[in-house]
Amino acid sequence: MKCEVCVERLEEYLDGELPADEQEQISAHLITCAGCSATFGALTAEQELFARYEREVEVPPFLWTRIAQHTVAANNGKRAGWRAYFAQIVAGAVAVLVTAIVIGVVYWTSSRPTPRKIVKQTDPTLPRNGTDLIQERAQPDVKREEIASAPHQQRRVRPAIKHTPRIDQSDVLSSDLGYLDIDDQDTAKHIEQTQNLLRSIRNVSVTDGDEEIDVSYDKALSRRLLSENIVLRRDAEMKAKFPTKALLSDVEPFLIDIANLPDHARPEDVRVIKERVQKTEIVAALMGYQDRGPNNR
Amino acid sequence: MKRLTVDELNLEAQPGAFAGTLMNSSADLVTRVCQGDSDAFRLIFERYSRPVISFIYDMVNDRALAEELTQETFVRAYRAIRTMRAETKLSTWLFGIARNVARESLRARARAGNHVDLADKSVMELSDNKPVPVEGLLSKELNELIRRSLAALDEDKRLVFTLKVLHQCSYEEIAGITGFSLAKLKTDLHRARAEMRKKISPYAGVGYEV
Repeated sequence: MKCEVCVERLEEYLDGELPADEQEQISAHLITCAGCSATFGALTAEQELFARYEREVEVPPFLWTRIAQHTVAANNGKRAGWRAYFAQIVAGAVAVLVTAIVIGVVYWTSSRPTPRKIVKQTDPTLPRNGTDLIQERAQPDVKREEIASAPHQQRRVRPAIKHTPRIDQSDVLSSDLGYLDIDDQDTAKHIEQTQNLLRSIRNVSVTDGDEEIDVSYDKALSRRLLSENIVLRRDAEMKAKFPTKALLSDVEPFLIDIANLPDHARPEDVRVIKERVQKTEIVAALMGYQDRGPNNR
Repeated sequence: MKRLTVDELNLEAQPGAFAGTLMNSSADLVTRVCQGDSDAFRLIFERYSRPVISFIYDMVNDRALAEELTQETFVRAYRAIRTMRAETKLSTWLFGIARNVARESLRARARAGNHVDLADKSVMELSDNKPVPVEGLLSKELNELIRRSLAALDEDKRLVFTLKVLHQCSYEEIAGITGFSLAKLKTDLHRARAEMRKKISPYAGVGYEV
């Protein structure tokens, strides 16, 4: 290969954009040609220089909040608007229906001679609206059932109580250490919560007979912790707290995997994570972080 | 700020990530956003905000503006994500939006007569051809030199140089982001490198022609 051809292709060679055969030809030429080799060395040095470029720009913490206001929150708002619109229509329809039923019942009861009036006249102990009492007497069981069922109906309206796994916190260390700054406190709190989550996954009992395991709580918690973890890991990196950064990097794959489980996960998926938590002894590593003083993080 | 590439921020590439993590591939995140999952869009933001803001900053050379344009990029991305073609890489698509947003801003600024001064005196002062060993050059000065030299490039050259040299995109990705032909991007890249070399060569201790 001629030197002119080689030099012409050196940038593409450096970029790894040449076809394999040309790449090999240039590699072979660079071994034998001192001039081209020196030029290639200079190009590499230049590349390394650009690799040292550090921009004076960071993603500001408030940026996501602003973006969310224009995207996710706005979209949820629209959906809420539609829901409110449908709710109004349904409420209107129900109101019309109830009114029609009430009018119908009133008309039916007033136009029909019933023995209730006779009872009302003959029984002086009855209250003025004796029909109610009669109805109550005639259908005592129904009334009682209605009364008894009323709280249940109310309960149905409440959100379902989430399954909360029991967490053994007997050996969780207190976090009243002499923290250096607010970030350390945040990180320690985060580590403690993560430790509890992983402990609950480690302690979950998985049997072959299980069809599915409810991990909705763990999943929601893991999603929140994952977001926190990313931010804290970056902070630790920026502040050169490398042991903390390494620990947060180690824990992140676990949070991702738990966050990705469906609410009702297959036992084998949970078992894989559980075994991994046990095998890697990540819980012990998290406890080790809490044991260390703030100066060693 | 540490220089980060798209791949460095890719959660799939993290050691220890396994099975379930695959659900967080870019394609899955896009699908989840289309289904109304707001957490998925947050993950996309977490993954790509740093490379996007760095790229925009390289293009506009203004920190506050870069933050504003990054916001605009993600808002546009969210609104248009349902129109994204399945075969398109999310990073390429996002960088394409960022490029359009940055270009619009640069043009608006130029129309307003508030464009970046390309004939920056300090660049000329630094490039006086006196050899200075790179070890002796403080990293702050080096950063300043690269920043100003980058700003002095014309827009197309700055675009391809930033994407290739500072963000390690492939030629194919750059063509996808910019819409340039392969021939144009190679020419622009070569010229951009030559111009940048001219500016930094006294400090890099290299004096060669490619």
